[in-house]
Parts: sequence; structure tokens; C-alpha cells
Amino acid sequence: MKYDLIIIGGGAAGLAALKSAYDPNLNILLVEREKTLGGILKQCIHNGFGIHKYKEELTGPEYAVRGINDVEDLDVDVVTDTTVIDVKKENGQFSVRMTNTVDGDHEREAKAVILGSGCYERTRGAIQLPGTRPAGIMPAGSAQRYLNLEGYMVGKKVFILGSGDIGLIMARRMKLEGADVKGVAEIMPYSNGLTRNIVQCLHDFDIPLYLSHTVSDIRGKSTLEGITINEVDDEFQMIEGTEKHFDVDTLLLSVGLIPDVNMFESLTFDMSRKTNGAIVDQNYQTSVEGLFACGNALHVHDLVDFVSEESEKAGAAAKEYLLKNKRKSDKTIDLEPSNNVGYVLPQKLDMSDEFDKVEVSFRVTTRGDKGVFVVHQGEQEIMTKKARFVMPAEMEKLKIKRELIDTDEPISIRFEVKE
Amino acid sequence: MKYDFIIIGAGVVGASVARELMKYDVTALMIERENDVCNHASLANSAIVHSGHDPVPGSLKAKLNVEGNALYEQLEKEIEIPLLRSGAFMVAQTDEEVETLMNLRDRAKENGVPEYRLLDREEALKQEPNLHPDVKMVLDLPTTKVTYPWEVTLASAENAIDNGLDFKKATEVTGIEKTNEGFKVKTNKGDVFKSRYVINAAGGFSDKIAKMVEKTPEFEITPRRGEYFVIDRHMEGFVDHVLYPTPSSKGKGVLITPQVHGELLIGPNSEFQDDPENVDNTKAGLSFVRKESMRLAHNIPFNKVIRTFTGVRASSTHKDFYISESKEAPNFIHLGGIDSPGLTAAPAIGRYVLEEIIMKKETLLENKDFNPYRKKIHQFHDMSEKEKQEAFRFDPRYGNLICKCEKVTEPDVVHHINRSVPGDTVKGIKKRSRAGAGLCQGGYCEHNVIHLIARETGKKVTEVEYYDEHSNILKGETKVKK
Repeated sequence: MKYDLIIIGGGAAGLAALKSAYDPNLNILLVEREKTLGGILKQCIHNGFGIHKYKEELTGPEYAVRGINDVEDLDVDVVTDTTVIDVKKENGQFSVRMTNTVDGDHEREAKAVILGSGCYERTRGAIQLPGTRPAGIMPAGSAQRYLNLEGYMVGKKVFILGSGDIGLIMARRMKLEGADVKGVAEIMPYSNGLTRNIVQCLHDFDIPLYLSHTVSDIRGKSTLEGITINEVDDEFQMIEGTEKHFDVDTLLLSVGLIPDVNMFESLTFDMSRKTNGAIVDQNYQTSVEGLFACGNALHVHDLVDFVSEESEKAGAAAKEYLLKNKRKSDKTIDLEPSNNVGYVLPQKLDMSDEFDKVEVSFRVTTRGDKGVFVVHQGEQEIMTKKARFVMPAEMEKLKIKRELIDTDEPISIRFEVKE
Repeated sequence: MKYDFIIIGAGVVGASVARELMKYDVTALMIERENDVCNHASLANSAIVHSGHDPVPGSLKAKLNVEGNALYEQLEKEIEIPLLRSGAFMVAQTDEEVETLMNLRDRAKENGVPEYRLLDREEALKQEPNLHPDVKMVLDLPTTKVTYPWEVTLASAENAIDNGLDFKKATEVTGIEKTNEGFKVKTNKGDVFKSRYVINAAGGFSDKIAKMVEKTPEFEITPRRGEYFVIDRHMEGFVDHVLYPTPSSKGKGVLITPQVHGELLIGPNSEFQDDPENVDNTKAGLSFVRKESMRLAHNIPFNKVIRTFTGVRASSTHKDFYISESKEAPNFIHLGGIDSPGLTAAPAIGRYVLEEIIMKKETLLENKDFNPYRKKIHQFHDMSEKEKQEAFRFDPRYGNLICKCEKVTEPDVVHHINRSVPGDTVKGIKKRSRAGAGLCQGGYCEHNVIHLIARETGKKVTEVEYYDEHSNILKGETKVKK
């Protein structure tokens, strides 16, 4: 079976990409590994989704249903319970290998592929926590799945390492389910979660947040018996004498998310060490022509609304690629982070492409209540934008007009904090 | 039930001895304190089948190392253990180290290592471009191999069980009584097993077991820890050989070892500690390993570390292996102080115990029904395209991918659950099938594995254990569910 487009992933990103890529003249397949569409939204039963996109507060499943409804009547193929194992590109054609219990291990060909496969959670191994290795330590998202989708509690006395949004949400969720949530430790001097989550999930439930703290010891042979946290200094070194012990049976980790692009064994594309995802241009096209990426498989978002928005753009770009035979050019300009900015996306601008302005997403590396974003091209300052209440946990955006770009030098963005 | 033999400990040594014993017409029981085979020193080590260049000539270590290395070729055919014929480079960077290297070459010869040669800098760098450029000379040891210690132990134990061995896991020996007919072995489960012989293969705890029958054991375990980094298998090919630094008075040094599944192991350091069970990782240990390893190779991809671990070697006050019948309790056989090269030597230790100790006291009849072959589970990720299609036609569940990082399917897991040493815990499945051993470390597949174990064993999902007894992951149903 030959397709024009295969979309990998049926979560927020894949659904939005499908909606905008749809055209009656295109043959499209969407592949989802779980039984039902919706992705990780299915297990996010709290509210707060859709404020930007739908101007109302929805739960995760409600948001997912809207995305599903948008594509329900489209004449496209959707397969669920099917896992993509590998993607190859030969003679300008993609060959996507996937497996399910109906067709076994099989391949489907396509002219273009959109990668909307989401992200996975950083684990204990990746952050090298000290101490014993008992049962009872798991990523917060795994605990969320057990609790919200399957109906099982993973513990009764809980501590959470990392103040990412899932950690904060799970602090409240475990508390509501009757667990004793002893606290949340964050190694940075500021939280990594959205402000509203700090307030609604921790403050409202009297759950302490220990900033500049990390786990320094884990106890228990078979099952977790307790943990110790220590305060850290400016260089993240533990300060002796600041130990605090907690008797807990569960340690949830909310220590970062990583774009999941690991199904690619046979195809390599340029990756960013800053986002752990692909390097893309303003059309969300990777270094491999015809391969697009969006959503958390590209870079980790804090709001699903932005995942949808980005993925709609990626879907539209893929449609143009297929219908208008639009091709990449070598005429590209690099977009780079500068002072106080961690990453910028897209990382490349394809200047042969016609556009009026380009929206750039980025994250700062330091907090600032007041400041300014400065965009440079070479020596030339080409634009500035005032910034209020900026923090690393919240993704920033700005639009650069095509007419401001005069040369082919790299463009950089920096954040100047005003005291 | 009275046994001819009880083996205490189901590490690689206990399992190898058990398999060797079952070649004879005997009854035997293997008792393991942990909830599976292969847990401590046997599991957490560099996984190297050493050539035999290192042990002191004339020692038991030297003899059993060289013999064991050759026996691995046979184990590969008989019980289908994985072998990576990597060879090893011992790297010298200074004139002093070059001199040590020459001495070790002579030692390799004396110990009967079949192949070894010296390589100059140019040749070494040609074969291993990521070697540190300070390399002066390399001792090439082509018979060095890498295996999967877990699989060696499991395969030996399974083969022994299939040939009549009894096995009790999660059972701790709490006391041993000498009787006129042999021994009574008591356990924490309240059992009392009688046996004519007891074989003490308790690794880090072998001195404690010895004290159950002896006033003053001739060896004492001095646990020696070693910490490691594991680097993701997508970095496969960073080095092809096991890289050893030239040993010094400070020890054997930190190694870089390619693994059979493609990962790289970086480690270990070597620190004595009192507790044979303390496998905590330490900042100091890991930073030492990192620093030392960077002397061996350039640009080690430490950004691709997927986990760290610590192994504890069962070193003893007796520098050599202590393999001997007890001086105080006849028919009680100690396998003590089995540290490096214990994994390599294990199959040879099995033979040595039979031939040099037991057969000198007993005439054992051959077990005519002994089947030396054990089939491994041929998993989806090891199948050819054709085999995958055939497997799917035979069982459509081969299309259900349980672990996407390591490409493990539902039948792969189910087969492991239903073996003679059942993989009936989450970590047991991880060790057997690799579901959960990849990049996401079980984040995606753990719940799948829990449900499959529950279904296959008839347990409730809340009863499925992470690993040890009572280490269930799901503690209860939610309010809604009740």
C-alpha cells in the first residue's frame, strides 16, 4: 500500500497534523500504538487544557476528544494498536515498518512522514541518583497512567523529585487519592513547572516545595523505605548538614522529558543537542526531505495548545510539500540561542521559501520579571520585544518579519533582564 | 526428601556446579536466597570471559581461567549463551607500562593462553581509532570474549533443572546441622532439607555459610565494590575490543567493555567495603571511573549513559579461589573467594569440583539421560525477516510489541514467564527479555509486563512483584475502583 503521507502518533500532535494535512487528493495513514487515539492526554484527567486554543478549560480527555472529532469524518486510514519499529528512506520514498496483531511486521510506503510520536520520561538511570535500587521509584507519568487509566495506586507515602508539571500534577492527584505527599524537591532555585500548577497543586494542598534541593540517599532493599534530600549550592553540590529524611514508599520522578524519536534505526537526521529532537526549518521539515516533526517529538512543550498549533503548521507544510511539490533549498539561515536563551526553534530558515514572518519558539535559562528579548543578525540588532515574568518553565514566542532579514548571517535571540 | 547434594547459591558458580552434577545419577537441590538466579557478583560485573593473561601462574585462578575460557565455546553450542568474540587490548601508555605489558605477555604464555601478540601504536590505533592517542603499545588477547553473565547462569540453571535438579528461590539458609548421614539444612521458610553433601556457592556470603559448620573458616570474604556506567546501545562500535589499562600496584584499573547487546560498560573501580550487599552508587566512585576511563579512550559518549550500577566482588583473604572440602566438616565443599576471573572460570570450577573433589571420594554413575542442550528463547528482535513472518503466522501475538525500545513482543515475554526458572517478576522479565532495559528503562513497557505476568501466573496485578518477594509495584486499587 502506498501513501502520500504517514503520520506517526495519534496524540495531540498527530491529530492536529492530520487535520491540517488533509486533502481529498492525498492518501494519508495515521499510526497509533495504543488502542485508542488521544495519546498522553487520555491520562491527564485534570483541567487546564485548551485555554489558548478553545478559550475554555478542558480536561485532557476532553481536549483529546475535540482533536479526534476534528478528523473523524476525514477520508483517511487510521490504524491503532500498531507500533512503528523503523523508518527508512530509499529512492525518495519512505518505508515505515510497523507491527500489529493483524498484519504482523509489515511496511507501508509514503512520500512524506510526520513524526508526532511524543516524548518519554527521563529515568533514574539517566540522572544517576545515589542509594539503593528498590521497587517504588518511578517516573511520575507512569504513576499517572497506573492511577488514572488503570485505577491502581503505586504508594501511600510519596515524595516527588523534580518540579516539572507532571510531578506537580501527581502531587495533587496522589493527595486527592488519599496518599501522604511529603514534598517536592527541585534542584534548581526555581520551579520547572507552570506557576498555576505550583499554586493549584502544591500551595492549595500545603505540600512543601524544596527549591535548590535534591535526593542524596535512597534506602530500602526490596521496596523503598525512605529518602534523604540535601540542599545544593550554586554549583549543584550538596551542602553537608542540610539533610532532611522522609519515610516514604514511593519516589516519583519528574526530571525531564525527552522527544521520542527512537524508532529510527535506519534513518538519521540532524538532531539538536539542546532539544534532543530534530533540527527543523520554519516548515518543521527535518534535514531529511519529506520528514516533518512536531509536538513533543520535536521539543517538549508545556502547553498542549501550542503542540496543536505547531502540529497544524507542520501538517499544512507537509500538504504543501506534497501538493505543490515544494522542495528544500540550500539557502538557509541559522537561528541560534544567545545569552540567557536555552534553545530556539526552528533552528533554520529556508530563505527560498516565501513567508511574511516566522514564529520562533524558545526557552530562557534564567528568570526575569522584566526584560527584553533582543534579536540580532550578525552585528545588527533587528528587533526587540518587551518581556514580563519570564521563566525557563514557560516557552516564549516571537515573530520575526521577513523584511527585517537582510543578510545570510545567523540570527540569534538573547534575553536581557532588567532589574 | 534426602538429597545427595545441596548447593547453596544460584550464582554462576552454583549453577555451573549444578549443571555438572546433573551429568551424574544424583539427586540435588539448589537453594537461592533471592527471588531469581544470578543476583549479586554473578550479575553485576564486566561480563568478560578473560583470556587468562592476568592470574599468577600456578594458581587455581590461572588454571581454571584458561580452561573456563575454552569451555565457553562449548557452552555456546550446548546451552546457547551469547558470546561476543571481541578480543581485548591491554593498553600501555608509558615506558613503565610497556615493561609490565611484556611481563604479562610472558605470563600469558606461562598460563597457557593460546593466542597473544604485541601491537605497536599505529596498528592499535588503526584497529581502535577511539583509543587515547597516548597509547605506546598494546597486548592483543584475541581469545578474550564477552558474554551475558545473566544468561550463562540462567541457561546453566535451566539445563540442570531440566535434567532433574530441584530449585528453591527466595529461600534463605538459616542454619546447617551436621548429622551422621550428612547435613540438615534449615531455611527461613521453615523447611529442613537433608543432604549427604553441601556445596557452598554463596558468593559474598560464603564465609557466613562456612561459619554454620566451622568454628574458624579458612577464608573470610572481603567484599570489593566496583561501579559502572552503562552507555546506550546506539553507541555500538565505539570500541570493538575490550580495553584494559595496564594493571599497576593500584589494581586492574577501569575498563571499557562492549557488551553482547551493544551497550558499552565503563568501569569498574575497586573499593573494599564491609557489606557484601551494598550496591549503592556513589558520586566519588562514578567520577573516579569517568576520569580513569578517559585515559583509555577519546570522547567517550557519557551523554548517552542510560544507567549506572555497582557490583560487589566476593574477594577473600585467601588471594586465590578457595575451592576445598571443609577441614572440619567432611562432605562440605567451599567455593569461596570467587572474584575475577570467576565468571570465566565458572564452568571449569564445576568440572574441578566433580573431578578433583567429589569423584575422589565417591563413585558416581553417569546420568544416561542427561541432555546437555538447552534452547534459548529465540526472540523477535533476533529473528530474520523470514522467521518473523513465520512466527507471526504461527502466533499473531508476535505482532504485539510490548517494549518498543528493545523490540520485545508478547510471546517473547510469555515464553520467559513459563520456563523452568520462571521470569515471573518485572525485573526478572527485564533481565530475560530486555523489556525495560533500553532507553526509556521501562517507562513504556512496565505496565504491559505487569499485566502479562498477572495473566500468565494467575496473580492479581497488585500481586505482581518488581523483583523481591513482596515488592509489588501496584499497592492497591483506587477509591473509584473499589
